[in-house]
Order: sequence, then structure tokens, then C-alpha cells
Amino acid sequence: MKHMTRMTYMTHMTQPTATRARDPEIPAAAPAVTFTGVVKRFGDVTAVDGVGLEIAHGETVALLGRNGAGKSTTVSLLLGLDEPDTGRVALFGNAPENSVRRGLVGAMLQEARPVPRITVGELVTFVAGRYPAPMPVERALDLAGVTELADRRVDRLSGGQAQRVRFAVALAGDPALVVLDEPTAALDVEARHAFWQAMRAYARRGHTVLFSTHYLEEADAHADRIVIIDRGRIVAEGTGEELRQAACGSLVSFDVTATGTEGLTRLPGVVSLEVRGNRVRLRTEDSDATVLALAERDAIRGLQVSPASLDDAFLALTGSAAPEVR
Amino acid sequence: MFDYVRLEVRRTLRDTGFVIGGVAMPVMMYLLFTNLGTDDGSWRTASMVGMAAYGAVGSALNTGGGVAEDKAVGWLRQLRITPMLPREVVLGRALTGAVTVLPAIGAVLAAGGLVNGVRLDVWQWAAIALLLWLGSLPFTLLGLGTGYRLTAQATGVVNMLCNLGLSVLGGLWFPVALFPGWLRSLSSFTPTNRFAELGTAVADGHAPALAAVLVLAAWLLVFGSYAVVSYRRAAQTV
Repeated sequence: MKHMTRMTYMTHMTQPTATRARDPEIPAAAPAVTFTGVVKRFGDVTAVDGVGLEIAHGETVALLGRNGAGKSTTVSLLLGLDEPDTGRVALFGNAPENSVRRGLVGAMLQEARPVPRITVGELVTFVAGRYPAPMPVERALDLAGVTELADRRVDRLSGGQAQRVRFAVALAGDPALVVLDEPTAALDVEARHAFWQAMRAYARRGHTVLFSTHYLEEADAHADRIVIIDRGRIVAEGTGEELRQAACGSLVSFDVTATGTEGLTRLPGVVSLEVRGNRVRLRTEDSDATVLALAERDAIRGLQVSPASLDDAFLALTGSAAPEVR
Repeated sequence: MFDYVRLEVRRTLRDTGFVIGGVAMPVMMYLLFTNLGTDDGSWRTASMVGMAAYGAVGSALNTGGGVAEDKAVGWLRQLRITPMLPREVVLGRALTGAVTVLPAIGAVLAAGGLVNGVRLDVWQWAAIALLLWLGSLPFTLLGLGTGYRLTAQATGVVNMLCNLGLSVLGGLWFPVALFPGWLRSLSSFTPTNRFAELGTAVADGHAPALAAVLVLAAWLLVFGSYAVVSYRRAAQTV
């Protein structure tokens, strides 16, 4: 793979937020999440193909990838809902089931539909009651912004409301690690904003948060670190800024000329070529050399040189179409 | 786990389909079948036990419908990522079934005593209710087995076929005496027939025959194994 940013997240570990004092049973030495050479196949399809990943206590990490990149399988493996074919998954140094039983994990699953014939208050109270040290139910409802829905039935809510209830369910046990699989999929702009505020408030209290998304902007705005997954492999990780830099310098674009696009990919610095309408877009590691070579070909019409966006970074790193951008 | 049973019982009782199909229907059928045509005192008592059994079977099977629904909406999966143990969930569901069969049994017995004037000793009422309650366990396991194995829709269909088929064949709706000889002997091997026999024996003033207990115990084993195998197969995929 082209560029690999292995960002060190020691900075997060040294921050005073780390683990909460009232969780003495969490081994402070073990990271919140560890994947070691994890492979998961479904028939002929290799959904997760040798993933290695470590998430420290108190970190907020985004798992970014297109639909079908392997995000949900990774989440299932992480929660112990699935077992890896090879490799090892550990939460707080133990098998996932073990950490789940000890109440260290809360999760919001993607494919879940509302539980029928139960009120929001009943549901959150019940789930909170399963955990050894839950937060007060009122607090969970408040954090997720569903206090006024407490007496409503879960199966009679709008999609966005139901989504927030599922967030309250994930938080109710006050777990050290919260896993959110595509948490904003059904939310409108306002609800999404409220959701991320609540998530950050929770993360600030020293909790570890892992969320998956196929929206670049969400990953960039709300995670300490972005892990890009593509075709079951981790292709890059780092902050949004690091990924932008790593993904190759700049984009040179110009109008298609009579000389055509023949041979352009062989110009100095050029990594990839794309034609959109009558514009040629060259991704390049050395824009100066590329522009000079273009000038020699007399191919410069309406030239533009711009730094790569996170979109471009994603494109370069996954070597395929960028995920949706909102 | 007590919390879980309470939650699931509450959810079941809020299910209009359950209240109508599992409780109101057996009561209505009982009153209808015993008040049309002949006014036979012994039939009023026998049918009371039969319809209470029919209601209990339907309610017990409904537990499986609930499991299939919970599987479909992802509730069982959500429970797997709480500290609850998988066996607590299964056991909790079985106990839920043990609670939700009570309304049907109670309602039909009440209709017999209060509306149809069935007169029995106090110990008989208590013994009938208790035996019908305990005897419904095989049917709860049958429902759970189907619920874990099949989709919600398929579970609904299978449960209905089991409920109607076993009820009619077991003589819960019509007296077995009306059946031709071969069907009567077949009927004596059904779990429903022996289930009702627990109650009718007590109503007649004696203990259930050993054969009834044995046949029912055999079915308990069969349905129990079915539930265990289905659960094991589904456990990794819910």
C-alpha cells in the first residue's frame, strides 16, 4: 500500500483523563482494544483480512470505510458476537465475552430495530440494571436527549428518536468502552449535531469510544484518530491532518487539450489520473515537476493546483471511489 | 433475571394478538361449544379443562413467537452485549412462558366456574390449575425451539399449525369419544391429549394415570431436545 501513517497515540495516554478511578478492575496496562492479525471469512469472502489495531484508554477512534469495507464485521469481532478465524481480539486484555460480562462494554448496533411493546424508560432502566455500576437512568436519557420520550413506546418513535434511544442504551451501563456502529445513519442534521455533542461529552469523562462511519467529515471532526479500513484491511491511520499529508501532496487539474490524456500518467510525480467532463485531474507527489512537464507538452489550459482534501486522501489511500461526503 | 422475566411478561401482555388469540379466544370458544346444543354437565367440565389446555398451549407456543421476533429486531443480539449470560436469557424466556400461560388457564377456569356453573372441590380447582400450569412446559419448549430456529413469520405459521393440529387431534376442542377408533388411539399419543388428561382426571376425582404422565414426559424430552438443538444452532447468529 502506498502510504502508511502509524500515528503514535501516546499523547492521549499521558493525558490526565485516562481511566476512571472507580474502575479498579480494569487492568490499566492493557489497551482498551487490541486486534492482532485478525482474519474473518464468510464463505469465499474475506470480510476482515489481517487487521491489527490498538486503542488506548480514553481515546476516541473513528473506523472509516465505504459500505462493505469490513467495518461491521470488525465491530462484531470486537464485541465477541463473532469469532475470528485466525488472530486474536482482546478488550482490556481479556477475551471480548469476558469484558462484556464484566460490564465494561456498551454498544449501539447498526442493524437493530426498535424493541416492540416497551417504553424508552423501561428499556434503558432494564439495560442499566444489568451493569455493575450504571449511571442514573435520568442521566443516560439526558445525555442521549430522550428525557421527554421516557414514557413513549420505543416502537412508536421516529427513526432519529429511535437512534438516540439506542445511544442511551449503549451508555446506560456507564461502560468504559462504547462502540457505535454507524451511529448517525438515520439522523437529520440537527439530531446529528446533538448526537455528536452527547458523544463528546461522554468521551470527555475518560471513556473510550470507537465509532464506525462512512462519512469523512464525521471522522475528521469527532475522532482523535481515524482508522481507514478498505477491503478488510487497515490502509491508514492517524489524525485527519496526518492522513491528508500522507495521502500525497496535491491535485493538478486543467482542461483537456488536443494532445489528449495519452502519457500523462508517466509525467514526473503523477500518481493517478482522472477525467471529469473536460477536466483532467492529476494527483501528484511533486506538483512543480508535474506542472513543468505539462508546460513542455503545451497542455496547460485553465491550470489549477490545489492541496489534497481528505476526500482525495481517502481516494489515494483506498485506490477507489471516495465514500459519501455530506 | 427476575427483571428480564418481568420485562418480557409485560411485553407479552401488551401484545393485543396474545390477549385476543391466547386468552379471549379459548374463553369464547369454551362458552360457545358448551352452550350450543346439548346441555351436558360433564361436557362443560371436560371442555373447560380442554379449552384451558388449548389456551395454555397457545400461550406457551407464543413464547417462541416472541423469541423469533426478538431475534429479528436484534434485541437478542443487544442482550448478548450486556453482562447478562446467554443461559439467563433462555431460562428467562422459558420462565416468561411459565407466567404467560396463567391468564388463559385462569380465564377459562373462571368462565367454567362463574358462567357455566361447573362445581368442583377447592382442591380440584387448585390441582387442575397447577397441573395445567406445570404440564404446559413441553409446549413452551416446543415454541422456543421453533422460535430460535425459524424467522418470525415462519414461527407464526408453524406455531399456529402446531396449536390447531395438536389441539384438535388431542381432543381439546371435541371429545375424543367422537373420533373413529384409529384416530382415538393416535390421539392418546399426542402431548395435548395427555396434557388435558392431567386436568380431566382430577375433575373426575382421581389422580392422572401413569401412562399420561409418561407420554407427556416423553414429549417433554423430545421438545426439550428440540429447543436445545435449535438454541445451540442459533446462538452464534442472533
